[in-house]
Amino acid sequence: MIAIGGISVSFGGVTALNKVSAIFNDAIVGIIGPNGAGKTTLLNVFSGFVEPDSGHIEIFGANLLAMAPYKRARWGLRRSFQTEQIVDDLSVGDNLRVVLDSLPDRKRRGNVEIAEALQFVGLLEKAGILAGTLNVFERRMVEIARTLVGSPKLVLLDEPGAGLRRQETEMLARMIREIHDRFGAVTLLIDHDVSLIAATCMSALVLDFGERIALGPTFEVLNDPRVKAAYLGVEDAA
Amino acid sequence: MTDDALRDKNGGMAVAPSFRLQRWRVLVAVVAVALAIVIVPLFLNALWLRILISSVIFTIAATGTAVLYARLGLVSLAQVALVGVGGWVTLRMWHATGLPFEINALVGAFAAGVVGTLIGLPALRMRGLYLALITLMAAAGFQILVTGTQFPNGGTGVLGAAVNSVFMPRPFLGRSDTAMLRYVCVIAVLAYALIEANRRGHSGRAWALIRKSEACAMAAGVNVAFYKAWGFALSGFVAGLAGGLLAGTIGVLDATTFPASESVLLFALTVVGGAYNWIGQIMTGLLFRAAPAFLNDIGVDGNLAYVIFGAGLLHAIITAPNGIAGQMLDLVARWTSPSVKR
Repeated sequence: MIAIGGISVSFGGVTALNKVSAIFNDAIVGIIGPNGAGKTTLLNVFSGFVEPDSGHIEIFGANLLAMAPYKRARWGLRRSFQTEQIVDDLSVGDNLRVVLDSLPDRKRRGNVEIAEALQFVGLLEKAGILAGTLNVFERRMVEIARTLVGSPKLVLLDEPGAGLRRQETEMLARMIREIHDRFGAVTLLIDHDVSLIAATCMSALVLDFGERIALGPTFEVLNDPRVKAAYLGVEDAA
Repeated sequence: MTDDALRDKNGGMAVAPSFRLQRWRVLVAVVAVALAIVIVPLFLNALWLRILISSVIFTIAATGTAVLYARLGLVSLAQVALVGVGGWVTLRMWHATGLPFEINALVGAFAAGVVGTLIGLPALRMRGLYLALITLMAAAGFQILVTGTQFPNGGTGVLGAAVNSVFMPRPFLGRSDTAMLRYVCVIAVLAYALIEANRRGHSGRAWALIRKSEACAMAAGVNVAFYKAWGFALSGFVAGLAGGLLAGTIGVLDATTFPASESVLLFALTVVGGAYNWIGQIMTGLLFRAAPAFLNDIGVDGNLAYVIFGAGLLHAIITAPNGIAGQMLDLVARWTSPSVKR
């Protein structure tokens, strides 16, 4: 269970998140909203790149905000970025191994975990080659595989479908649906592509201008008139 | 099946062809260096032996500058000052204890590693120009300090500076100039091995992520502050080692060898030589010490070397970010793979 309580973030005079509270009980939860709604800011609060002015986050009983950012990763928090962050001059396997490096007692099982994660995303046979030689989709897959090694507890995916073709997005959706069963992690997914959210998430949180405007089962949320208004423009609702 | 596909017989990750090529290259490099260590000293006169010893010593120091610049993108302008720290502690140790050179030099290297880490602490918060300025100020501070106190040379007290110098003897294995050149070459190989081992292990992977983006590194569980500090510690360690070797070669050290400007020059020549490849630091050492002497040898004012260095730096910045070493390797690649045409 993930409990977000009263998270507020402001940058100068701009309120990015205004007392956002939510409780997630599902294996895959979507976070949606128009540009500037505060989705990535919320993820950055999870990761520790942004310190909230107030509020708390509790995940499976752990007080996330009390941990240093790199310790959150060691605890089991993983994330991918809007622009993928794959290191070109490391091998595909080493791009994953870096996560295991910081975990104790991973030496013996390390190769197995890397193999499992790479097989999951279909890149097992490319483990030894330099990541710089991969195409856009493969790079995205390496980044997702990196979130899956070392017994993740919570995986944050920030627009993993950005820039992918339709077929690739469908493959991605299938993968995201399997993450919980295969690796035991809960996934928080941000994406502009509502169809990806609809295809993967059991429930969804909708943000607009830093405020929570809806939370609940995905199909209900997507049919909520306020959500439609936020996405399509307020004049429709008026 | 998954496990087997990932492991080669060494238990490591499966090795792609490009890595096999690298192994072959490493073998050639090792043979070349070994031959050079054995043969080259036989053909040199006393002056050039000394110059080459000094070049190799500064190659060792340059590996530290290169690791910070190439692996972490950090500019340190205090490397020659750290060489001085290593030399100071090595001399202090010998005059105080009379222990074998190797122990004194190791203590000197560790001391320079600690000082290097302290100088690098601001790097945990800043980078680029501001960090460069702070390291330069540290180098200037060392210059002032050591000009005032001089290096230990058998005097009394903590500083141990006397009017008449007592010379520290050469290391047991480097009594003659020929032997000393071989000795510093072996230490250089060990220093390279130390840095390469770091690059291939935890540290190298952590550095690669930090260079990519600190946010990404943190999200992957990398302790960014620790691995940056570790880069500075390693860089300071090899600088200190170089300082110990310099002291071991000459027996005394002089403050005029370690001005802040030399640190700046060593960094510039690290870029000119090529920070991303190990051959680059050999170039750096040769440019730093052998090039001015060579110009003097052929009857040209050695100070002209600075003009050449300036032009070389411009050239490196504009057209050859991988330095001389990068250009050499490009050339080799063009010879060995005729299909690549430019």
